[in-house]
Amino acid sequence: MATCSSAIKPGILVTLQDLHTTSPFLKNGASLRVVGKLQDFSVEIAVAVIVDGSYNLKIDTQHLRNFSFRVGSIYQFIGELLIKPDTEAVLQARIGRNVDGIDLNLYYQSLQLLRRFQGEHMSD
Amino acid sequence: MENSHVKLLAFDFHSLTQKPCSSSSDPFNFFRKGKQVSRIETLGVVVSRDRKGDRFLKFLIDDGTECISCILWLNQLDSPYFSRRNPSDVRIIAQMAKDRATDIQLGVLARVRGRITSYRGALQVTVEDVFIERDANAEILHWLDCVKLARSCYNVSTRPSPLQALNDQSTTTVNED
Repeated sequence: MATCSSAIKPGILVTLQDLHTTSPFLKNGASLRVVGKLQDFSVEIAVAVIVDGSYNLKIDTQHLRNFSFRVGSIYQFIGELLIKPDTEAVLQARIGRNVDGIDLNLYYQSLQLLRRFQGEHMSD
Repeated sequence: MENSHVKLLAFDFHSLTQKPCSSSSDPFNFFRKGKQVSRIETLGVVVSRDRKGDRFLKFLIDDGTECISCILWLNQLDSPYFSRRNPSDVRIIAQMAKDRATDIQLGVLARVRGRITSYRGALQVTVEDVFIERDANAEILHWLDCVKLARSCYNVSTRPSPLQALNDQSTTTVNED
């Protein structure tokens, strides 16, 4: 796969369900893009929790500027995964977006199609 | 494909090959699976921006498959390239470029159209137009457009039209005679 022209890596599109314990995406330092509904946000430690069905992920938002959080809204985050021993994975977000109005069913279906297309292209 | 804005996913964009070209104003021609492309439409999240005063804004679009480097020139008022054009037109073009540069902020979903260029061997887009998408579904629809167009159009090998084939055949026959 071609690399970015700069040091910034693309955030690989993943669902929260993709981040299970044996997932190839669950790697320390992996650049990911995730989406989910904001369940909780702690102003003191700038940590948000997003959920998608029964799956959730902690998001470290300390690097986001001028960003407002509303519990119940849907957000997309791009950042790097931080995995420390004996602690759960945290995404250190460098980009955050409110994506209220997104059709999540269409998003997940399109994601599968996109992965298949990318796989076909790579094997050509 | 050569004269239209081809909708490409970023990973597809980075698979383009470039060949030096001496007869064109651009030093390189770009090809996708053997077909020449010169312009692209991309859509994704702006993940970095670096403005160099009134000269240019360089930014990265992340569409989830890769990043595309884009350059938006802001030097129209000083550039010799624009010196022969009507000054009032140049002022409008310069103001539009500045407005676009203001629109390009970290985290926005931007649709960018532009020319495919190369800088130090790396592919980039020289921006012609920017549109900030407010609908979160716009990116999904862009993915689907890219996949559909690749499969039904860009990947399809072009065959000569029946008339062209007939002409080719008659030319061959004449030459054989």
